[in-house]
Amino acid sequence: MTPAAHLAPPDSEDAISTADLAKIFRLRWSGREVRAVDGISLKVQRGSTFGLLGPNGAGKTTFVKMLLSAVHPTRGTALIFGRDARDPESRRPIGYLPENHRFPTYFTGAGMLDFYAALSGVEEDRRRKLIPGLLDRVGLDRWGSVRLGKYSKGMLQRLGLAQALIHSPALLVLDEPSDGVDPVGRRHIREILSALEEQGVTIFINSHLLVEVELFCREVAILHKGKVALSGKVKDLTAGKGYRLSASQIPERLQSELRAKASSNAARDGLVDFQFPTREAANEAVDLLRSERCEIESLVPTTSTLEEVFVRTVEK
Amino acid sequence: MIATIALIRDTFREAFARKIFWGLFGLSTVMILFFLFLLKIDIVEGALATVSLFGRTMDRTTDVDRLVSNTYGGIATFLYTWGMALAVFASSGLIPSVLEPGRIELLLSKPLSRTHILLGRYVGNVLVVSSNIAYLVLGVWLIFGYKTGIWGRAFLLSILTTIFIFSVLLSVVVLIGVMFESAALATMTTVGLMIMSPILAQTNLMMRLLSSEWSRQLWRGLYYTLPKVYDVGKMTLDVIRNGSFDSYMPVWSSAIFGTVVLSAALVLFAKRDF
Repeated sequence: MTPAAHLAPPDSEDAISTADLAKIFRLRWSGREVRAVDGISLKVQRGSTFGLLGPNGAGKTTFVKMLLSAVHPTRGTALIFGRDARDPESRRPIGYLPENHRFPTYFTGAGMLDFYAALSGVEEDRRRKLIPGLLDRVGLDRWGSVRLGKYSKGMLQRLGLAQALIHSPALLVLDEPSDGVDPVGRRHIREILSALEEQGVTIFINSHLLVEVELFCREVAILHKGKVALSGKVKDLTAGKGYRLSASQIPERLQSELRAKASSNAARDGLVDFQFPTREAANEAVDLLRSERCEIESLVPTTSTLEEVFVRTVEK
Repeated sequence: MIATIALIRDTFREAFARKIFWGLFGLSTVMILFFLFLLKIDIVEGALATVSLFGRTMDRTTDVDRLVSNTYGGIATFLYTWGMALAVFASSGLIPSVLEPGRIELLLSKPLSRTHILLGRYVGNVLVVSSNIAYLVLGVWLIFGYKTGIWGRAFLLSILTTIFIFSVLLSVVVLIGVMFESAALATMTTVGLMIMSPILAQTNLMMRLLSSEWSRQLWRGLYYTLPKVYDVGKMTLDVIRNGSFDSYMPVWSSAIFGTVVLSAALVLFAKRDF
């Protein structure tokens, strides 16, 4: 496969950039409002691997659908490589694998790839050359002429990944990519994604499988009740045992001082989280914050897995 | 252009898979074979000598021109009513199927406008039915021309008028499909319009029968607004039999209806969240 970055405009630093993005559904009869996504501002740098996490109903899928313009935002903006997500051309560099996809069963594997590649504007000659290689890459080389009705769920998932890759996208948006795939298949998918990462493809994964995200993504954001509850680098968020101190209204000078002392830090929802390796360091930080009359939100001991970070975040 | 062709080909592929295309094709073929093998016409010096059907000779004599034009008229009417109803019934599932969750998101993630996606599907659907209509009419026309030596070109007009009215009715199928994602409701609404058309076309009679002015206005409003399936059919029949027709009004008013309804479907589709 050719390196994909050529599909993206060269001057955009962020693959995804949203500002105050919100979607409020109004129930038809009662008129009640449901804030599925409530003012999300997020940046995903070009070439990064980003995981979007959150409990059921947190607004992850709605957020992804707004990036693809399948759902219209109530307010805010979404940019894909600097281009307004409402513009169909913004979707040219995107390869998308939806959750619970329903590929028409009248397609064969090769026919399905040919159709979606054509919709992405890939010429027929190029499609003919690309399809056998892609089927081989996802381990379905002998299944190209078989109708999709005969595919298992894991095979459909791998074919869906091939579909997302066929036009050499610069941004991959994958909704539960390992869903229904066996452990060997998962590792295979991870290897494919790692190779793409080396080629500079931005990978955005929406998943419930925290272990998968922890293994692959460099950065994550945890959504909760339609807002970003926590975001940062995975290595910072899972920076070993210690103490996490959350505070607000911290002057910039003190923030810099605490950042230097902390093993990691992350911003969320007006708060700044500092991870300290020892109890002494955490107490010292508390003293500094109180001397500046900053608001301390919480001080909790931490452990190291993303799952624990996730549970702590959504249970707050 | 690549994407447009892909959308049209996909509609054909789905029509093949759902046996819609082959169902229509099979019925058309049965009708063509009927005229090819079961209808025998003997002509002596330009006049009809015998007509035999299923091996039975009819003793009615008439002139060949009238027989051919009457037969063409009969086929055009059959095609126009039952063929159209079958085509609407067969096509009604092709729009809601694209809107199924898990399928529509993937289509919308491609660099295509929503108008492009829906129009591609609409045109594909029209072409599926058009190819069958053209096959049937041309097949019957060739058989009759060969058997009688009379090549009534006016009959070929029924290809255009049938496709035209189908395109207008399909816009209703698309609108209902986009609004409610229900093939059954789309069929009911469209067939309902077809049934209403010959009733509404009795405008002169109804103007005399209706007692109040508002009911007359309502009748006229409905007649001029809704597609004139009956009137366009009658127009086709007049051209086949007499070579002339009264007015273009049924065509342009139906075209306006189809354009407005299809535009409404495109606007609603563009605004919907999936």
